[in-house]
Amino acid sequence: MHEATMSFKARAEEALANPTLKIAIDRTTGTAERKRAVAMTQFPQFDAARERGKRIKDHVIANLDHYLLEFERNAIASGAKVHWARTAEEASQIVVALCKQAGAKRVTRVKSMLGEEIGLPHALDEAGIERVETDLAEHIVQLGGDRPSHIVWPSMHRTREQVSEMFKRLHRAPHQEETIEAMVDSARRELRDKFLTADVAISGANFLLADTGATCTVTNEGNAELTTTPPRVHIVTAGIEKLVPSMGHAIAMLRLLVRSATGADVTQYTTFHCGPKQPGDRDGPEEFHIVLVDNGRTRMLREGMKEMLRCIRCGACMNHCVVFRQLGGHVYGGTYPGPMGAVLTPVFDGLEKSRDLPHACTMNGKCQEVCPVAIPLPTLLRGWRDRSWREGLEPATVRFGLGIHTFVASRPRLYRLGTAIAIRVMRLFSRGGLVKGMPGLGAWTAYREFPAPAKRTFMEMYKDQEKGQ
Amino acid sequence: MSARETILDAVRSGLGNTAVDPAAVRRDADALLQDLPSIRPALLADGLVDAFIARVTSPKVAATAECIASASELPAAVGRYLEAFGLPALVALQPAAPLQALDWSGFELHDRVAPDETIAIGVARWGIAETGSLVFHSGADTPILANFLPLHHLVMVRADTILPFLDDYAAATAGQRPPRNVNIVTGASGTTDIEGSLVLGAHGPRFLHVVIVGTPDSSE
Repeated sequence: MHEATMSFKARAEEALANPTLKIAIDRTTGTAERKRAVAMTQFPQFDAARERGKRIKDHVIANLDHYLLEFERNAIASGAKVHWARTAEEASQIVVALCKQAGAKRVTRVKSMLGEEIGLPHALDEAGIERVETDLAEHIVQLGGDRPSHIVWPSMHRTREQVSEMFKRLHRAPHQEETIEAMVDSARRELRDKFLTADVAISGANFLLADTGATCTVTNEGNAELTTTPPRVHIVTAGIEKLVPSMGHAIAMLRLLVRSATGADVTQYTTFHCGPKQPGDRDGPEEFHIVLVDNGRTRMLREGMKEMLRCIRCGACMNHCVVFRQLGGHVYGGTYPGPMGAVLTPVFDGLEKSRDLPHACTMNGKCQEVCPVAIPLPTLLRGWRDRSWREGLEPATVRFGLGIHTFVASRPRLYRLGTAIAIRVMRLFSRGGLVKGMPGLGAWTAYREFPAPAKRTFMEMYKDQEKGQ
Repeated sequence: MSARETILDAVRSGLGNTAVDPAAVRRDADALLQDLPSIRPALLADGLVDAFIARVTSPKVAATAECIASASELPAAVGRYLEAFGLPALVALQPAAPLQALDWSGFELHDRVAPDETIAIGVARWGIAETGSLVFHSGADTPILANFLPLHHLVMVRADTILPFLDDYAAATAGQRPPRNVNIVTGASGTTDIEGSLVLGAHGPRFLHVVIVGTPDSSE
């Protein structure tokens, strides 16, 4: 436990000390925040749409068994094979077994956070199957040998200079000109033949449509369709919470998802995949598999976290999070970073290992405000804090400190005396209205200033006013 | 117990084992799609074709569009496009009857799209005015790769197949057996994966040109 505490703090220290990381984070999240704000002014129906989106997801979750069975029935009727996985390991094993069964040497992948969650990249690598990430950002992550740091822009921790260096070193025909256009072109050349020669394609799903058994992917690059059309086998992995009753419901959710994620009204490519190649089709896979994954979702249902199952993975919460924007995504240590990650990671990895995440939050409520399905993220984070306390996972220093606080705060005279002394001492260290350094405040003032407190406490001023009346 | 049974059991116990009445679930689901105008954006213009063109050519979609009176004018429109870009008259033509029926003399045609295809001509089944999108269904006359491999994608869409909203597409196809792929294409391929800056032509087409065939709104 103590080690986990250290490692989160160590990771945060490292992120804060990284000179290029903050620049990279600001460039992407700043753009995302601005574009979303513009999209909202052009969509005055957003509040009503968000309330509807929330109700659609709540309706699905309340009837999840019904929709799972309807989806399975229709998917099978479309020619798909449906697999069920209780855990991340089970899901990865199913996918790897299907790849082996297909005699796959090369597998192309469409970015999917569920794929990351179940450890699929690692499982494929372990099985000795060549894995080609086709989303540009995932391609950059793969070349860099690290992990995604954002759920929509997985390589946002890389500056253009770093990407350029990697492409020049690792692409067969790299760019000559130092522009982002030329780098994108280099990746286009590099991946083109791999799309067409892969044996198996693996994608996720943004939505599962119960009434047809179709799955839906959204991309801007067009890599989903280029990935899933040429190979003989297409495997979809999806969380069981991705269901919607019909295409109409998916469309209502898509309007929320895309605006919240990138500020666009719709992605360049929205594709519904239904079963394998049909008789007469010019192209498409012979086999179509869908792996439905639980991995903690039914536990969330049971343990009072069902609002989190509304999440459509847009990333707006992290783009607007003051903590994420200082530290980036790697610090969170799990598959999902930012506020939604701080809620989900304790589900997947256990609270003992991730108890710092619910604390890495200022409770400013911004995440809930921008969430397109109104998930009460601060409340869920507070729930984890509460549980961490009850289960005795908080370190002795925290328990001791809070014990002192409780002792003082429940004795008004002592509390007033303490605060009256404290603000006077703090003012001794203030310069120009700010405390920039003070013994005992180093951890705070290393990265930010503390506003100088008022001359007198609230109670002192209040008492004076009472006397005056 | 199988994974399937374990998961379904866990869902049911998590929900408190309530018995599901499929008819009631259906009613609730339908009710969630009532009053659509309150949860979707308004169109950019009154006429469907005008609204569609306004979206297609808006900075967000960044495609180009032109109108022709009849499909027979398509080869000439393609010729003008090729000339503007200085491209040879070597095009991949989607093997669809409305395209193949046209007079393509002066063009060298093929129907298999190459991995480095410069230009492909296709026909969309529907246009969507809400988003400026084109809708394709995979099938015997619609290879999916033809929408994604070329650098330039020229798409014909009939004015009378332009639907107001995405929901109207869902309604138009409800109850039919879905094709393997429904592609809703909105603008050219793009990426913002390097420092959030938008670059077109990521893996799919860098240029999308939409040719609308039929009566424009003004003369309706």
